[in-house]
Amino acid sequence: MASEFYILIIGYIFGFYMAWNIGANDVANSMASAVGAKAITIRQAIFIAGILNILGATFIGTHVTNTIRKGIVSTEVLTDPHLALIGALSALLAAALWVSFATWKSLPVSTTHSIVGAMIGFGIMAGGFSVINWGKLGAVVLSWVISPVFALVIGFIMFKTITRLILSKRDPFTWSLRLSPLFIGIAFFVIVLSFLFKTPLGKKLAIGTPMALVIAFILAIGLGFVAMKLLGRYTQKRESSGAEDIFRKIQIGTSCYVALAQGANDVANAIGPLAVIYFIVKTGEIGASVPVPIFLLFFGGIGIACGIGMAGHRVMDTIGRKITTLTNTRGFSVDFAAATTVMVASKLGLPVSTTHAAVGGVMGVGLARGLEAVNFRIIFQIILYWVLTVPASAITSIVIFKIIKLLL
Amino acid sequence: MRIPFLSMFIKSPFEGIQEHAEKVKECAGVFQKAIECIIEERCEDFEHFRKDIDNLETEADAIKRRIRGHLPKGTMLTVDKFQLFRYLREQDKVLDAVEEGLDWLSFRSAAGIPEVLEKDFMLLVEAVMDPIEELSKMVVEARKYFSNFSEPQRRLVKDMIRTLRHHEHEADKLEDAIKEKVFNTIDDAVAVFHLIRLAEIIGSIADHAENAGDMMRAMIAK
Repeated sequence: MASEFYILIIGYIFGFYMAWNIGANDVANSMASAVGAKAITIRQAIFIAGILNILGATFIGTHVTNTIRKGIVSTEVLTDPHLALIGALSALLAAALWVSFATWKSLPVSTTHSIVGAMIGFGIMAGGFSVINWGKLGAVVLSWVISPVFALVIGFIMFKTITRLILSKRDPFTWSLRLSPLFIGIAFFVIVLSFLFKTPLGKKLAIGTPMALVIAFILAIGLGFVAMKLLGRYTQKRESSGAEDIFRKIQIGTSCYVALAQGANDVANAIGPLAVIYFIVKTGEIGASVPVPIFLLFFGGIGIACGIGMAGHRVMDTIGRKITTLTNTRGFSVDFAAATTVMVASKLGLPVSTTHAAVGGVMGVGLARGLEAVNFRIIFQIILYWVLTVPASAITSIVIFKIIKLLL
Repeated sequence: MRIPFLSMFIKSPFEGIQEHAEKVKECAGVFQKAIECIIEERCEDFEHFRKDIDNLETEADAIKRRIRGHLPKGTMLTVDKFQLFRYLREQDKVLDAVEEGLDWLSFRSAAGIPEVLEKDFMLLVEAVMDPIEELSKMVVEARKYFSNFSEPQRRLVKDMIRTLRHHEHEADKLEDAIKEKVFNTIDDAVAVFHLIRLAEIIGSIADHAENAGDMMRAMIAK
């Protein structure tokens, strides 16, 4: 029992370290467009990202965590709790190692991919190849391809819509105010649905799908118009006012949207294996399906927030200085595309990378001819490291597993 | 730092194009001074002006190379990359024509421009200054359009291109008038050749500015 207790403590430490890493590096990717477009200051970005990552992680986060924990690797097949415990720990260490390596070498490696690879290694070691649910894994891998494309399409459509319906109009200021309930409403619709489906909170309310849709729809319309009223009151119209003035305000909202989605999605990367460890240590066996305790999600959220607080400043400062061509309408389109993609994927239980969704969003706006110069070659690099990360972290996880097994 | 987001954004080529247009404008100013100097007889600064233009041309060339060399494959711009390059080429040709004009003058600088034609040449030079001024203004406004996609802004750029064409037409008329006058007043065949060619070169400055405008029209097409 004593060794298990130590494993749990190590699990907490490395789980926190992973969450810290997400906060330090990945948050910059999602807040980049808002900071780059000067919609919010770095201080505000850190504040918003910190609070909303915790909220997203705690209240919307469960579903993805479940998938990583028992979707890809079916814990039901594992017979020996001791082996599973070591496996989960090695997965966590392997992922932490990979993320540290990537940070050190400045490689565009996704935390999500590292943890999924490590979990696969863990599964193979703990129960052989048969415990890997290849169908599920295939779906997850497919979601990595689809999520940037999905974000690209949304970003493209969003920016084209803004160009057609707002920018090309004689009075873009008024038009953007007039259409703001639409954009804000869609975001709220997605957020409310995320809250109602498959979260502990939503389950307590016990609302059926059609009812949830109706509630989300009504709330979205209501909140959309409230937001428009607020925008109208707090934005002064000047002679030179354009759509950007309105979108600068809207972007404050969308950066909250991004942070919320990120918290919901990414917390699983940090506490997925930790949840397994926690469960085994607490019950002494491997259960079929037990929801991740909410305090673990909260713990993950706090870890992310700490990462943002300590290292986010430096990263976002670089972004603010380097990305100068991003305007608020572009930033909004990128944010909206990324957050919607991540939110939807998160609700489907697919652990996608927030960073890649943001990259997809930028590409969408770039394809819509919205940005002065975007380098698309980054996708090849991302694909390369994506192909490399999963096997590499799986093998690392296997090696660590062997070592720990020798020691214990 | 693992920030793929950051590496997606590269320096906008429009900055370089604006810079290049400023160099063209600067060159045009020196050119005008050089012509005035030639006409004022005892011109001592002519070589000095030529050197200035030479330096400016080298600087502009460096800007041009920087723009072309720093757009990696797979870069997405607000306009087609090759349209942008063709625009830049035309804008650069304006500069080349200015340089060629001074070079051509220097080959026969002792004779200079005959007194009867002095006024006409001054008018022609002045006429080609207008399109160059308009060109650098157009670049600034076009960049604004690519950022706000507003219809009034697009109309503004279109109007500027129209003005450019109008200026070119005016310069053309002056060029033709000079040619006619040269043939009817100068008897020395060598001088005739020198002056006709000079008028053509100066006229071509406006031509290239107009071409650049046309390329811009293609870039802002919906």
